[in-house]
Amino acid sequence: MDQDRADNDDGWLEQALKSDAQAAGYIADDGFTSAVMARLPAPATLPAWRRPAVALLWLVAAGALVALLPDLFYTVFGSLVTLFVQPPSWSHIGVLLLVIGATTWSTLVYAMRAE
Amino acid sequence: MPSAEVSDAQLIARVLVQDDRHAFGELVRRHQSAVRACLRKLTSGNHALADDLAQETFLLAYRNLRSFRQQAKFSTWLYRIAYNAFLAERRKIKESQLPEEEEAEDGALSADAAAPLSHSVALALDLKRAMAVLSEGERAAIVQCYHNDLSHEEAAYVLGCPVGTVKTHLLRAKQKLKARLGAWAPEH
Repeated sequence: MDQDRADNDDGWLEQALKSDAQAAGYIADDGFTSAVMARLPAPATLPAWRRPAVALLWLVAAGALVALLPDLFYTVFGSLVTLFVQPPSWSHIGVLLLVIGATTWSTLVYAMRAE
Repeated sequence: MPSAEVSDAQLIARVLVQDDRHAFGELVRRHQSAVRACLRKLTSGNHALADDLAQETFLLAYRNLRSFRQQAKFSTWLYRIAYNAFLAERRKIKESQLPEEEEAEDGALSADAAAPLSHSVALALDLKRAMAVLSEGERAAIVQCYHNDLSHEEAAYVLGCPVGTVKTHLLRAKQKLKARLGAWAPEH
């Protein structure tokens, strides 16, 4: 009851506060957005040497893998060759998917590093 | 080119995925008025300081956009950053150094004293003076709930305090305002 009375008594104040808020109106941009945009940090750009350097590192890593695990390389390479000269078997398809997956992963890692 | 139909969420996604600065510019354009108005109220009408803090708010929003989880509306999230920027500024500068509105005189403000002005303009001026007597928390609660039209829950999120505290701040603020603006209350 008292709360209702208080709420009724507050009506004029509520109205005054709402009117004050509405009276503020829209503040024109007047170059504000441009000022903010000018202060944004510069886009991250990679040094020109980094992209070929990263590619070279991947090449070296792949070469090292071949040198350390020649059997694996010959198996994969041999499977790829037979894939194109013979009708594909399930194992061939599996290897192909493995290669595609590895390539995709490498590309993604490279792209994310570049970004 | 961002258009009016594009939602805030879509613009945010563009900024995050493509670092699309035009999309962020559109977000700034959409929300600059509300954020600046909010800060102008918090700084008691110091437009220059409010605009500096508003710029800081949008820069912080850009840097921390990845942490925006869409649990609140983007505008509410911006208000929270703006309020934190305001508090940080208050900590840096002593209260006495902050340009305040002129001190309100002691005692209740009189409607008669503003007789030459129109009713609404005079009330607005008295309200502005009366707001100066509120504590920081009380003024912030009034600004969030009335000027920014937030719910108590949203205001609590912005101010970083429990909902009960917001309600207490509002109650006390209204009591103080009623005491100061008693002359404007309709007679029964």
